[in-house]
Amino acid sequence: MLYTHLRSSVVRLLLSVLITAFPLLILPTARLFAQPAESLSTGIVPTMSINEVTEGTLLFRTNQPGRFTPAPVMKTDVQIAVIGIIARTTVRQEFTNPSEKKGDWLEGIYVFPLPETAAVDHLRMKVGERIIEGQIKERGEAKKVFEQAKQAGKRASLVEQERPNIFTTSVANIGPGEHITVEIEYQETVRYDQGQFQLRFPMAVGQRYIPGTPVIVEDQEPNGTGTMLDTDRVPDASRITPPGQHHSQGSINGSGNSVSLSLTLTPGFPVAKVASLFHPVIAIPDPDGGYQISLRKDAVPADRDFQLTWVPAPSTEPTATVLTEQRNGETYAMLMLVPPTHSNDTAPRMPRDLTFVIDTSGSMAGPSIEQAKSSLAAALTRLTTQDRFNVIQFNNTVRSLFSTPQPVRTAAMRKALRYVDGLSADGGTEMLPALRQALKSQQDSSRLQQIILITDGQIGNEDELFELLTHRLGTRRVFTVGIGATPNSYLMRKTAEFGRGTFTYIGNVNEIKDRLDGLFKKLEYPVLNGIQLDRTGWTGLEHYPAHIADLYEGEPIILAVKASSLPDQAMLLGQIGTQPWSLSLSMKQATARGGLSVYWARQKISALMDEAFTGTAEETVRKGVLDVALAHHLVSKYTSLVAVDVTPARPTGKSEPGQTQSTKSEEDQESASLAGLPKTGTSGSVQLLLGLLLIVTAAILWRVQRAAA
Amino acid sequence: MKGRQIKTRVVTILAYSLVLVGLAQACSGAWIYMKAQLAQVLLQRAWAGTLAGQQDVKPWPWADTWPIARLIVPRLGIDQIVLEGAYGRTLAFGPAHVESWSDAREGTVILTGHRDTHFAFLEHVQTSERIVLQSSNGLIRSYRVSDHRIVDSKSGRIPLDREHPALVLVTCYPFHTAIPGGPLRLVVTAEAEDIEVERKVRR
Repeated sequence: MLYTHLRSSVVRLLLSVLITAFPLLILPTARLFAQPAESLSTGIVPTMSINEVTEGTLLFRTNQPGRFTPAPVMKTDVQIAVIGIIARTTVRQEFTNPSEKKGDWLEGIYVFPLPETAAVDHLRMKVGERIIEGQIKERGEAKKVFEQAKQAGKRASLVEQERPNIFTTSVANIGPGEHITVEIEYQETVRYDQGQFQLRFPMAVGQRYIPGTPVIVEDQEPNGTGTMLDTDRVPDASRITPPGQHHSQGSINGSGNSVSLSLTLTPGFPVAKVASLFHPVIAIPDPDGGYQISLRKDAVPADRDFQLTWVPAPSTEPTATVLTEQRNGETYAMLMLVPPTHSNDTAPRMPRDLTFVIDTSGSMAGPSIEQAKSSLAAALTRLTTQDRFNVIQFNNTVRSLFSTPQPVRTAAMRKALRYVDGLSADGGTEMLPALRQALKSQQDSSRLQQIILITDGQIGNEDELFELLTHRLGTRRVFTVGIGATPNSYLMRKTAEFGRGTFTYIGNVNEIKDRLDGLFKKLEYPVLNGIQLDRTGWTGLEHYPAHIADLYEGEPIILAVKASSLPDQAMLLGQIGTQPWSLSLSMKQATARGGLSVYWARQKISALMDEAFTGTAEETVRKGVLDVALAHHLVSKYTSLVAVDVTPARPTGKSEPGQTQSTKSEEDQESASLAGLPKTGTSGSVQLLLGLLLIVTAAILWRVQRAAA
Repeated sequence: MKGRQIKTRVVTILAYSLVLVGLAQACSGAWIYMKAQLAQVLLQRAWAGTLAGQQDVKPWPWADTWPIARLIVPRLGIDQIVLEGAYGRTLAFGPAHVESWSDAREGTVILTGHRDTHFAFLEHVQTSERIVLQSSNGLIRSYRVSDHRIVDSKSGRIPLDREHPALVLVTCYPFHTAIPGGPLRLVVTAEAEDIEVERKVRR
C-alpha cells in the first residue's frame, strides 16, 4: 500500500518535471530566463553616452580597462568676445588629480561639448607656472607627437574633433595632487532669430549619471563616424568611483563648481537692448557702441545656461558694417549687411516666379500636410497678376501642376487651389526628380525666381542634389523648409546654401502654418537682391560665400573677405526691387578686431569641403583644407592640436595606467556596433542536457512501472 | 484492474515517447558540436585550396561561404578556419569574419564565433597571449592580446581603425550558461606585433 502510494507520487513528480521542462523544449532561446541570470552573475556595468556630457568633464583612466573616474573641476572661467556675429570664447578649466598616492600618474580625457558652428583654434595647458601652447598638426602627426610625449613621461595634450559638436582633449601625465589648467579657445557664429541676436554658453549640468542606475546608450543617426564615444572612453564610473569622489562629483552639480564669465560685445550696429535671460549682469556701454558685460555676482553655480540677447535699433534701410584685421601682411575683413527691421512696403515689387515643391510622402500625413496646404493656399492668394507660379508634389512619383510656371489668371488659380486642396500624404520620398523638374523653368534675371522646397524627409543622394544645384540653379533661388524632428538640418542648410536661398527649420508641428506664412511673406519682398561686391580697388580679393545670397528681412548677410590691399571705399551693389542700389563703405575707418582671419579661414574650409560634393577629388580638398587649417591654427577633419611640455614630468620607467591600455581606440571616429553581430551562443548544450534528462526520466518511469507490475 | 492496465499502458507510451524526444533532442544538440568539428575538417581542405591560389573555395558544394583566414592560438592548440560573413548559418561551421569592416588584411579585423564551440577557448585566453592569423594570400600576422572586455551588446561598440592592424574576437558571455541569447559579449582585442609580419613563400 505504502509502496503503491510512493510509486504514484514518483510518477506524479516525474510528470511535473516534464511539464516544467516543456516550455524549455519549445523555447530553447527564451531570453526571459537568460537575462536575469546573466546580469546577476556579472553585473551589467552601465555606460554613459557622450551626449550626456553637458559641460567640460575630465575623465581619468583607471587600472581597470574601460573604467573612468570623473576628475573634480576646481574652477571654470569663461571669457567671450562678440564681434558682429562672431563670438570668440575662451574657457579655462582647472582640474586636479585627486590621488594622494605617490607615483599615481594619470592620463585624463577631457570631453567638451561645443555649439555646432564652433571651431577650436587654440589650446593652452598650464602646469604650475609653465604654459604649453598647442601646435596645429595634421591629424595623424599630432597623434604621433602626443603618443611619443606620453611615453617619454612628458605632459601632453591633444585636441581632436570627434564630431562637429564634440571635442576631446587627452591630457597625459598628471601627477598626484597636481593642478592642471586646460584652456581652449573656440569661435562660433551667433544665432539670429526673429529680430534678435542670441548667444548661449552651456553651463547647465543635465541629468548626470547616478551610480547604480543603468543609463542606456541610445543609437544615434547612422552617420557611421563616431555616433558615440567609444565604449572604453565612456565611463562606467559607478563601480570604481571611490566614495570620496562621489562628493566631488556631487559638488559639480551643486555650489562647488562655480563659473565666472565676462563678455565684450561689439555688435557692429546700433543696439536697442541687451539682455541676459537667466543671470543678472552688469552691462557697461563703450563709446564705440559696444558693451562690457559681466555677471553681477563674481561667480555663479553652473546650474543654468548663460544666454545673452541683443536687438538692433529700428531702421528702414539696410545697414552695413565693416570690421578688419591685419595678419601676416593680409587684410581680413568681415562685411555685415543687416536688413532693416521694418520692410519698405512702398518699394516697387519685382515680378516673381514662385515654385512650390512639396513633400507628400506618407510621413507628412496628419497636421504637417494640413498646415502646409492651408499656408500654401494663403500664399497663392497673395500672388499678383505680374507673377507666375507652379506647384510640384513628390512622393513615389513627381507630379507637376503645370509644366512651367503659369501666369496668375483666374482659371489657373482656380485649378491650383483645387489641386492644393486635394494634396494628400502617401508613399515614399523622391526629392531629386522633383527639384530637377522645378529647375526646368526658364531662367529670367528680371524676375525673382523662387523655389520653395517643403519636406520632413531626409535628403538622400546629396552629391547629386548639390551637383544639380551647382549646374542648373542659374538665376533661381532655392529655399528649404524642414518640418519635424527628422530632417537632416545640415544637408537642408547646405541645399539652401547651394541654392543661394535660406533654410527654415520648423521643429514644432503646430508652428508650421505660422512659420510658413512668415516665410512666404518675407519672400515677397527681398530687401536687396543681386548683391555684389565691386571688385575695383581690391587686389587679391577672396570672399566667402563666393555667391552672395539675397538679403531678406530677418536674415543678415555676412561676407568673409581676404585681400592683400583694399580700397578706401568699398562698394556694395545690388537692387531694391527693380531699382539699383549701392552702398559705399569706408574701409579706412573700419574697426580693427581679432578673430576675423579665423572666421575667413573657417568659411574657406567649409567652401572647400563643399567642393567634394561637386566632384573635386578628395585629395585636392584635403590639401586645400590642410593649407588653410595649418596656417590659421584650426582643428578640422584633417588637423588636430597637440601641446607637449618639453621637460619630462613623470619619472620614466614608472608606468602610467593609461599606457597599459590600447591607445588605438582614441584616434578612431569609426566604431562597429556590437548589436549588429549575430548571437554566438548555441542551444547545443541545453538540448543535450534536456535530451539526457528526458531519457533518464523515461528510464525511471520504466523502472517504477516494472517494479509495480 | 482494468484501470490499472490502462495506467500501465499510458506510462509505457509516455516512457517511449520520452525516450524518442530525448534522443531527438540529444542528437540535435550533439549535432551542433559534431557539425562544428566536422565542418572544420572539410574547411581545412578548402583552405589548402585557397592557399594554392583558388578563389573563394567552397568547402562543400552547397556552401554559401568560403574560408578566408586561419586562426591559430599556439598555446591552446587552437587551429581553426575562419569563414567569410558573420551570420548564424556560417557560425555553425566555424568562426566568422565580420565582412563589412575590413578585408582581413589591413586595419581592425573582427571575428566572431560560438562561445560553446569554436570560441570556447576565449575563456582561457590570457593577456599577451599570442594569436596568429593567416590570411588567404598566405600572409601570416601575429597578434598579442591586449584587452579583455565584457560589453553589453545593446550599447557596446568596437572601435575601428583602418591603418593599424588589430584583431577583435567577439563571443557571447558568460560561458557555460545553458540558455543562449543573453545581451553580454566578451570582446578580446589583440594588437599586431609589428616585426613578426612575414610572408610565407607559397607556390
